[in-house]
Amino acid sequence: MNNRKISLVILISAIWLTLCSQILLAQEAAPPTGTKFDYHWFDTNRLNVFITLAIVFSAILWFIARAKKGKSLFIRRIAGLDAIEEAVGRATEMGKSVLYIPGIHDMNDIQTVASMIILGNVAKTIARYDIPLIVPIRQPFVVPVAEEAVRQGYLSAGRPDAFMKDNIRFISDEQFAYAAAVNGIMLRERPAANLLLGSFYAESLLLAETGASTGAIQVAGTANIHQLPFFVVACDYTLIGEELFAASAYLSREPKLLGSLKGSDLAKALIVLAIIIGTILETIGVKWFTKLFVVQ
Amino acid sequence: MGAFLTLGIISFLYKDNPWYKFCEALFVGISAGYWFCTVFWSQFVAKLWDNIYPTAGQPRQYVYLVGGILGLMMLLRLVPKIGWFSRWPLAFVVGGTAGAYLIGYALSNGMKQVKSTILPLWVSGNLNATVGNIILVVGTFCGLIYFFFSKEQKGTYGKVAKLGIFFLMITFGASFGYTVMARMSLLIGRMDFLFGTWLGLIK
Amino acid sequence: MRKEVPLIITFLAGAFFIADYFIPHTGFSDLAAKINGWAIIVLAASYILGVLNILRINYGRVAKREKDWILKLILVLCMFFMLGAGIFGGITEGTLFDWFFVNTFTPMQATMFALLAFYIASAAFRAFRVRTVQAALLAITAVLVMIGRVPIGETIWKSFPDFTEWIMNVPQLAGKRAILIGAALGAIATGLKVITGLERTYMGQD
Repeated sequence: MNNRKISLVILISAIWLTLCSQILLAQEAAPPTGTKFDYHWFDTNRLNVFITLAIVFSAILWFIARAKKGKSLFIRRIAGLDAIEEAVGRATEMGKSVLYIPGIHDMNDIQTVASMIILGNVAKTIARYDIPLIVPIRQPFVVPVAEEAVRQGYLSAGRPDAFMKDNIRFISDEQFAYAAAVNGIMLRERPAANLLLGSFYAESLLLAETGASTGAIQVAGTANIHQLPFFVVACDYTLIGEELFAASAYLSREPKLLGSLKGSDLAKALIVLAIIIGTILETIGVKWFTKLFVVQ
Repeated sequence: MGAFLTLGIISFLYKDNPWYKFCEALFVGISAGYWFCTVFWSQFVAKLWDNIYPTAGQPRQYVYLVGGILGLMMLLRLVPKIGWFSRWPLAFVVGGTAGAYLIGYALSNGMKQVKSTILPLWVSGNLNATVGNIILVVGTFCGLIYFFFSKEQKGTYGKVAKLGIFFLMITFGASFGYTVMARMSLLIGRMDFLFGTWLGLIK
Repeated sequence: MRKEVPLIITFLAGAFFIADYFIPHTGFSDLAAKINGWAIIVLAASYILGVLNILRINYGRVAKREKDWILKLILVLCMFFMLGAGIFGGITEGTLFDWFFVNTFTPMQATMFALLAFYIASAAFRAFRVRTVQAALLAITAVLVMIGRVPIGETIWKSFPDFTEWIMNVPQLAGKRAILIGAALGAIATGLKVITGLERTYMGQD
């Protein structure tokens, strides 16, 4: 970091801290009547969560650091993610568009954040083939994020001129009006590939079934368990839960992002180990280990 | 009007047609306007205006102006030269979401589920519970093995992962079957409106 | 300024909301609620962009008299009608805005929701065209759960409802937990990458 960047960090941190402290001081000076004011700065009942998060963060950051040093990292094939490229390829062959549906939640859902990251990677692939990428959006705040992600994808592919802003379409905040309009796009613009990646609810079935009826190749993914069965049934490939979050690393193949996948796997191994140890202890009547996972 | 629009939407089941297209345009237009107004009154006015100009006796909370400024920055996207300012509120919302959701997922999807999975594999005098617990622990274990990305799914490890997929399929099947009945009751509700409330054929 | 400031803001906002969970200090919680309020205001402001986006996209189509341009015009007119009614007349019960909501919006919303019954029938047809062992498992479990939830299930076998309950509480739950735990780790990793600035595709970098 150069001096300019350091001073910028200090400046913004100072603004933030000043603002926070001012509000806190004002609050302490005149606590709301009738409520008990808590002056503690750490909730010791949540120490177990703190330690668990610290372990998971360390595992992820450690592998990211390893990846940055150039260590080779093996990641197995994930069929659903390979299918995204296959779907784009098919759309190219047919000279038709790709429809990317980023779920119905706002940016205050981490699945939408993950979906926007995938969108950037998908845009990069699509930009090379010169086919339209249509992104219908339910939440207005997602529109600028999608625009940035797609523009960046086209820019990375060296095709900024091919970026079409009008294909990032805000539809309506109403869940079923959105579904009705997207169904319309599927039937009238006939995209060759539908990618449904993000947070979905009841509209998942309407979208996936309409898409299937048009004969488009469909790749779906969500972490919302109740919608996964519909995707499994109506789509060609489905990314289940964690696979959705793994997509950005897998598609970009960037070492530091692949490192985070490895870190995540290490954390998963520790969880499996904790379940095994805990189960053995519970079976012989030892309870304290299980209590480590109680959250307040 | 309700019946005309209901039938228009249902006509989509036959095929895409002008009646449905009209209803779709109406639905999208009205709902876009509806949500804008709802958000305007319940979020923008309630959070910004009402905190800065509160009812008599309440203190003014100028801290909410920061939200107003961030909102204004969002609108700077409309001015290409300074549009990059909109990345600040964007970063604020995305960063905040990442932090809040990270905690939410760690608690409800992570630790709570791990705690619930740690079960005794032998429940004295209760064979049902014993078998149930064993299946639950083994199923969760195999399912987690499926989600490992660092290892090729081959040999014994691959078989365990495959068993994990079987458990996932049972989960999807059960969830699917469970939802079918709920969806049917929705259809019955709309048919009741058409044939009962509107046509009066059902009493 | 264009690259660094958003990254710093992302980090500070993310770290703040993580800290909020561990800090019970009343003043801090109150501050978190206020900062959450900022986010609500920002999200609300983005609706202006949304309306302008609808206008821009549909105006072009209407102006060029593209296919179905008349429907696009209806869409925009309906939107402006509701905007006018809601902003100038209010959104409370008994207003014009409310009348349109009850008589147009609600039936269409309910009908779209009801269409799910037809779609689920079509999805079931797809699900029962069993081609693999995995698909068979999904279909068989779905049938068992469906039968167990209707009276005929109990007629076939007295313990059918209990068996369905067992499926929901044991093998179904096992798979569900694996997905939930996996998704938790995925969300944590994604959140961490966003907060630390390792992942910033969504923000653009030019």
